[in-house]
Amino acid sequence: MRRAFLNRVADMIRNETDTTFFTVDIGMWAIRDVLRDFPERCTNVGIYEDGMFSIAAGMARRGLVPTIFGIQPYLIERTLEQIKMDFAYQKLGVNVIGTGAAVDYPKYGYSHYCAEDVQIVKAIPGCEFAAPGTARQFLQLFNQSYRDGKPTFFRVSDHPNTEYDVDVKFGKANVIQTGTRATVIAVSVMLDMVMRVCKDLDVTVLYYTTLEPFDRETLAANCPSGRVLIVEPEYEGSLLYDVHRALSGRTLRIAHVAFPREIFRNYGTYEEKLEYYGLTEEHARAELTNLMDF
Amino acid sequence: MKQISKTLRKEALYLSHKCQDGNLQSVFSCLDIVWTLYDKIMNWSPQKAADEDRDFFIISKGQATLALYPVLIEKGMFSLEEIGSEIGTFHSRYCIQTDLTKFQGGIENNAGSLGHGLPFAAGIAHANKIKRSLSRVYVLCGDGEFCEGTMWETCIFAGSKRLDNLCVIIDDNNSVGAMVEFGSLSAKLAAFGFEVFDVDGHDMQALETVFLQVGTALNGKPKAVIAHTIRGYGSQTMTEQDIWFHKAPNAEELQMLTKEVEEF
Repeated sequence: MRRAFLNRVADMIRNETDTTFFTVDIGMWAIRDVLRDFPERCTNVGIYEDGMFSIAAGMARRGLVPTIFGIQPYLIERTLEQIKMDFAYQKLGVNVIGTGAAVDYPKYGYSHYCAEDVQIVKAIPGCEFAAPGTARQFLQLFNQSYRDGKPTFFRVSDHPNTEYDVDVKFGKANVIQTGTRATVIAVSVMLDMVMRVCKDLDVTVLYYTTLEPFDRETLAANCPSGRVLIVEPEYEGSLLYDVHRALSGRTLRIAHVAFPREIFRNYGTYEEKLEYYGLTEEHARAELTNLMDF
Repeated sequence: MKQISKTLRKEALYLSHKCQDGNLQSVFSCLDIVWTLYDKIMNWSPQKAADEDRDFFIISKGQATLALYPVLIEKGMFSLEEIGSEIGTFHSRYCIQTDLTKFQGGIENNAGSLGHGLPFAAGIAHANKIKRSLSRVYVLCGDGEFCEGTMWETCIFAGSKRLDNLCVIIDDNNSVGAMVEFGSLSAKLAAFGFEVFDVDGHDMQALETVFLQVGTALNGKPKAVIAHTIRGYGSQTMTEQDIWFHKAPNAEELQMLTKEVEEF
């Protein structure tokens, strides 16, 4: 997914003269040609996210389309005031591409983990958040939104879905299957696992790759049971407000398969973390069974 | 003090009184700088306020945003009556800080959080280079604001990108000296690649001379004008009483301070 993104950036810089790209000292090798050939618009600025965001906002003020690439916690947590003041408040657009989604750097410790990204971005009105599940979906979502004049955050995962790669539309959920006993919200790279659990069950599966704005309409139209399982590769409850708003006035029973809200003090592998925190088929199946039997 | 300096200060006092808020010491500190830029230096007029190649004035020391209104009033962009009738009210577009989305021209950025205006201005300056635009960018910062890390991040960028179309004006009223042993701001900025100028920030003629020098020096170096100023300059009371850093005058104080300004 990262390679697809960098190829798209190289293409954008070469062919669209109003676009700019900043990286904070990562990903340079893949785009070394455009860094060399377009130094004004394609820049390794050095390692400073806060100032870079405000600089990018200034460029947006002049009608350019800035894209920033970096590591998720530094792009979102260090720069929160810049996101709020320079982009959201002034209604200026930027594309922010973050690697290191949730625990994609599993051995680096809490400094590099970012399971809170969705909630943080959702806290600032006017921002958008996309979490594609595959490289192809990244390209679809990026191409549909990168000129929309809004601060749009893309979570680029190193662990994409490999079995399910459906076409996606920015701002819309996909109805993967329909059923009567529960509705499962599968977010981003969780779709493969969710489908291994759900494909033979009488449940609806909705696939979300745009998390803000959240497609409430599709959920409202596809939740006959009022039972919802949210399977999300971020902190538990990141989508809860949207689910409640989509299904307001209805009696709900909601279960979660997600990262718990705690500081992760472990290392190991990505797979070990999913296992430890229960983002697994077994846990999803158990939660869904409880939900359906209630 | 020149009559225009007195007029600007009296209007700022009036607007602060109407709004019942404001940072008048900081406003009085920078009014002569802002006026000189708009009146003598910048490629800007109300008719050009949305032109592609206009010069930009970015306010980074957001606490002095109220200084913008008197200048823009005297340049014919807004009217004192309009702003005075609504400033600070619920649906007004005028307040202690600005909201860019409520204006079609005249206001170039939102301020309030320190350390944002300078990098924002650098982004505009760099965009101007990309667009091959002759537009120049003037950004007003406080000396105390240079404690923010983003200021120095931007200095790296501006020096590295050779933004000689960027002019950083530091309203140096010794705010930082009251906080920390800061050392020489001039030496620090020069070390980051800036061409640095020093000037009396209340001497409009000297300001004009320096800004004209800045405008002609397209030598690959971003410019820094350190304008030495006095908080509350134009009112004896305000220069002596720091309570006026954040205080709005009541009717009696408005009358007293207006008289002080007139007699300064």
